[in-house]
Amino acid sequence: MPYLLDPELRDFAERLFADEALALTASEANVPLAFRVFEDLRRPLTTLAGTAGFRSLLLRALTLAKRDEPSLDAWKVTSDGSLESAGPGQHHYDVDRGALLLAHIIGLLFTFIGETLTLRLIHDVWPDTSFSTSTAEGTGNHESRG
Amino acid sequence: MNREDKVKINKLPTGVPGLDEIMGGGLPEYSFNIIAGSPGCGKTTLAHQFIFANATPEKPALYFTVLGEPALKMLRYQQQYTFFDEGKLPGSIRFVNLSEVILEQDLDAVLKEIIRQVEEINPGVVVVDSFRTVVRKAAGAASEMELQGFVQRLALHLTSWQATTFLIGEYAEAEMRDNPVFTVADGLFWLYQTAERNSIVRKFQIMKLRGQSSVPGLHTFRITDAGLQAFSRTLGLTRRRNTEVSSRRLSIGIPELDKMLGGGIPEGDSVLVAGASGTGKSVLATQFLAEGIRQGEAGIAAVFEERPKEYAARAGSFGLDLVTPQTHEKLNILYLRPLDLSVDETMQEILDAVQKIGAKRLVIDSLAGFEMALAPGFRTDFRESLYRMIGALTGIGVTILSTVELEEAFTELPFSTYSISFLTDDIIRFRYVEIDGQLRKVMVVIKMRGGNHSKDIREYEITAEGIVLIGPRVRGYQGLITGIPTQIASSGSNKRPLRKPKARE
Repeated sequence: MPYLLDPELRDFAERLFADEALALTASEANVPLAFRVFEDLRRPLTTLAGTAGFRSLLLRALTLAKRDEPSLDAWKVTSDGSLESAGPGQHHYDVDRGALLLAHIIGLLFTFIGETLTLRLIHDVWPDTSFSTSTAEGTGNHESRG
Repeated sequence: MNREDKVKINKLPTGVPGLDEIMGGGLPEYSFNIIAGSPGCGKTTLAHQFIFANATPEKPALYFTVLGEPALKMLRYQQQYTFFDEGKLPGSIRFVNLSEVILEQDLDAVLKEIIRQVEEINPGVVVVDSFRTVVRKAAGAASEMELQGFVQRLALHLTSWQATTFLIGEYAEAEMRDNPVFTVADGLFWLYQTAERNSIVRKFQIMKLRGQSSVPGLHTFRITDAGLQAFSRTLGLTRRRNTEVSSRRLSIGIPELDKMLGGGIPEGDSVLVAGASGTGKSVLATQFLAEGIRQGEAGIAAVFEERPKEYAARAGSFGLDLVTPQTHEKLNILYLRPLDLSVDETMQEILDAVQKIGAKRLVIDSLAGFEMALAPGFRTDFRESLYRMIGALTGIGVTILSTVELEEAFTELPFSTYSISFLTDDIIRFRYVEIDGQLRKVMVVIKMRGGNHSKDIREYEITAEGIVLIGPRVRGYQGLITGIPTQIASSGSNKRPLRKPKARE
């Protein structure tokens, strides 16, 4: 079955990025937005699943995202589960790619622990963002094997 | 120090139906406990049930996962249980992965991280799953004294921090001796899982529980969609006051038989009706229930050989309505035949049904069917468990009529193949006899613990009205109880032959 990313997940991830951009302070402006978002997510997910658990999840999401956006090949996952980029980044370009990667991570979490629990975890990181969707529980169209 | 001066130990609900009763009212607050057992026996699920039952935003639960089941998979599977309340995550229940600390650092670092999290989150419940992994790490790097020190400090800190703690581990019973973990623990709960022929038998034992008396011995439990459910060996009736001894006699629904019983069955007795197939044991049982319903006494029929509809339909053929009372909660016909029940589980179902409708009469039809419905591994416990259940139910005033099928022997009169006569206060024996070229039926009251009873052997017939006794006692024959009587040759009243059967007027 071909792998499909739910467009609602993509929208949700983009909104998370937009909210995060609004919350940026001047001193944080030099940190790429995408990496900030993933750093915010890394902390609670590492607590929950361990560094290895989060890292493997991120690697899987990155692999899936590269199918839609081959330029993500320049992004690497470090041993502690942080993201780093091998090449120079452009803000808007990174936001698009970051939102795609985030959508895949959320999709994987939907697959593994369900929508409700995933959104509760995300709400803990970004309390002001809501995922209003009519998506059914689980990810009928988020096939974990492409 | 009098009783009022002693510290009161709060008991926390375990979240596992039946387990609080086994624990002696719940789990002592601030206790330091171990859940041990082999893989797959339900340790993690038990801990989850406890945290979901107790965690609140003010006193959250802190669940440390250590190199065992990955947290995401644990959440994936545990959320399938009905007790899993997603709303409690992550505010009231927090999962913390300790794998890296265990892999990369020493026991001090592990303790430090646990303490850091505990002080930050201020949990009411702490779980370390699996603690065995921590101990393995310690065993490789530290001396036994260091391990003991670690466990001691962990217990001390968690208790001081007012947390009730569970350490989960895959232990074998042989490891209990001299293990510092077990020495420090206030509570030690062991879960067993064995395959007995075609069935899985799960048992639970409290090896140790400081501060309160728990129910000793092995208790069966089951894992369903709702998680663990435990079945206490005492069936939850130990603390229930027995009703006062009643002198009331219950009609069995057959006036002539009531007379033979000395006025009916003493309330709260256990009656055994024994006889060969087709002698009318079930008919008598339904008459007993129907008479109770007629007198306003609710009843339960635990049937193992017929389905409830068939059971009620057969009663209907004798003019006994067992359908209407079911709609009015005056009768519940339980069909218990899944073939893998534990005896305590079955008895719990019966007890629940008895308590739900306030039943005063219970029919178990039949004991052989009951035994067959159990998983093979539980059959050895059958008599002991039956003894407990009958004792518990009759103790609260329920009158029990059990049927048992016997192979017809023509040289003796066995009361029961189960050697369970000691369970019964009263025994009624049905049997076939060969008389004048006919296979007829006779009954005799063998035993009435409550007093005198008729010694007569009476012929009976099963008619459209149920069991009907025919005439006075059978005279003119000897050896009736052998099934092959001989006519007494002497003259006089004793020589009267058996009357021909006829229905009651």
